[in-house]
Amino acid sequence: MHVLIINGSPRIKAHSNTDKILEKFTKGMTSKAATFKQYEISDRKQWDDIRKAFDESSEILIAIPLYVECIPGLLIEFLETLTPKKGDARISFILQGGFAEGIQLRCGEEYLKILSENLGCTYGGTLVKGDNFSIRFFEGEQRDKITSRYEEMGCEYAVNGNFHSEKCRKFTGPEILSAPVRLFVGLLQKTLAKKMFARIAEGWGCTKPLDYRPYQ
Amino acid sequence: MVLIVNTTFDRSITDELKKQMDSRNIDAKIIETDSLRISPCIGCNFCWLKTPGECSVKDDYEIILKNLPHADQMWVISDTALGFLDHKGKNIYDRIIPIGTMYLKFVGNQMRHVPRYDKRTDVGIIYTGNPDVEYLKKWNTRAALNFEAGSLGVFSTDEIKEAVSCMC
Ligand SMILES: Cc1cc2nc3c(=O)[nH]c(=O)nc-3n(C[C@H](O)[C@H](O)[C@H](O)COP(=O)(O)O)c2cc1C
Repeated sequence: MHVLIINGSPRIKAHSNTDKILEKFTKGMTSKAATFKQYEISDRKQWDDIRKAFDESSEILIAIPLYVECIPGLLIEFLETLTPKKGDARISFILQGGFAEGIQLRCGEEYLKILSENLGCTYGGTLVKGDNFSIRFFEGEQRDKITSRYEEMGCEYAVNGNFHSEKCRKFTGPEILSAPVRLFVGLLQKTLAKKMFARIAEGWGCTKPLDYRPYQ
Repeated sequence: MVLIVNTTFDRSITDELKKQMDSRNIDAKIIETDSLRISPCIGCNFCWLKTPGECSVKDDYEIILKNLPHADQMWVISDTALGFLDHKGKNIYDRIIPIGTMYLKFVGNQMRHVPRYDKRTDVGIIYTGNPDVEYLKKWNTRAALNFEAGSLGVFSTDEIKEAVSCMC
């Protein structure tokens, strides 16, 4: 199986969480003898090539960061320029987001079925998972801890050609966090997480409090 | 105040809106984006972690960010594509994220960003074309939740009267 992979993130490749996820995912894919060519939506210079590859491909995978409950505006701008296929291709999706709960991604997932139809493709399913916001802030082992889970899903996809298996469905994790976990995470957000964000902000040269109101 | 953002090139929509709003004495501010430069969000996270509340993309979207903390409602007028808002309409929503902060909390059983301002701005859509209306309604409700606000509904350009009846 040869797959056209499109990273649908507007964030440049170097900082894109989706790219780090795809790194592991494609490692799994290639271990099962699948091949791929990856493009980035964030680089407008690639758009002509992606369009051509879309026209010529029968197996397409778009990996997408959730942007306000759906797909990013920049990705829509690109997709608007495509000529829909004639049912001769299968399209599958990796949908990932910042919030941890599976329920946060369901509205976006629902749209991907509508999108497949509008692109004239058979829907190969969506691999859904949140809790990926922090990938860009980590390196090495810490980053691998978050992203390496995608390697096995790459194997699944290469073998099945879709994300319809039970294993892929379960990959999402809990739809909502249990009450004790919410209590714990809520506390963490008020304490440790605030300190961590302040540290990152300082490193980025931020000179204002993170709840500053410029347009009050 | 009701903020109206027309992302289409069709000013007859806002002309009709103005007529209807005037007759109901609605305090509105209309932004026509056809004469503005509004780029997509590039996901840099600077609005949360480097220049809190300010977008690093220096273009005309700042007018919207300046008005949002004072608006009771925002209506996005948008063309549609691929069953959904077209990219110009969606960009208005994507670029809204500076009104949230990096801080997180649970609202009910789901996590949300802590809002930056006290004002909550409900959102509505007026669309052209043929989107998946049921989906758009559902999506707008979810999108509004992200700003701790409500959906004002989704209306076609043939339903301007109905949309105006939801304006305060
Ligand atoms: C404008 C914008 C909107 C976002 N909206 C959501 C959202 O609705 N739900 C969510 O879980 N994450 C949301 N996120 C977080 C991203 O999906 C998440 O950080 C993702 O890992 C980014 O991947 P990337 O680095 O490849 O762009 C949003 C991020 C941005 C910049």
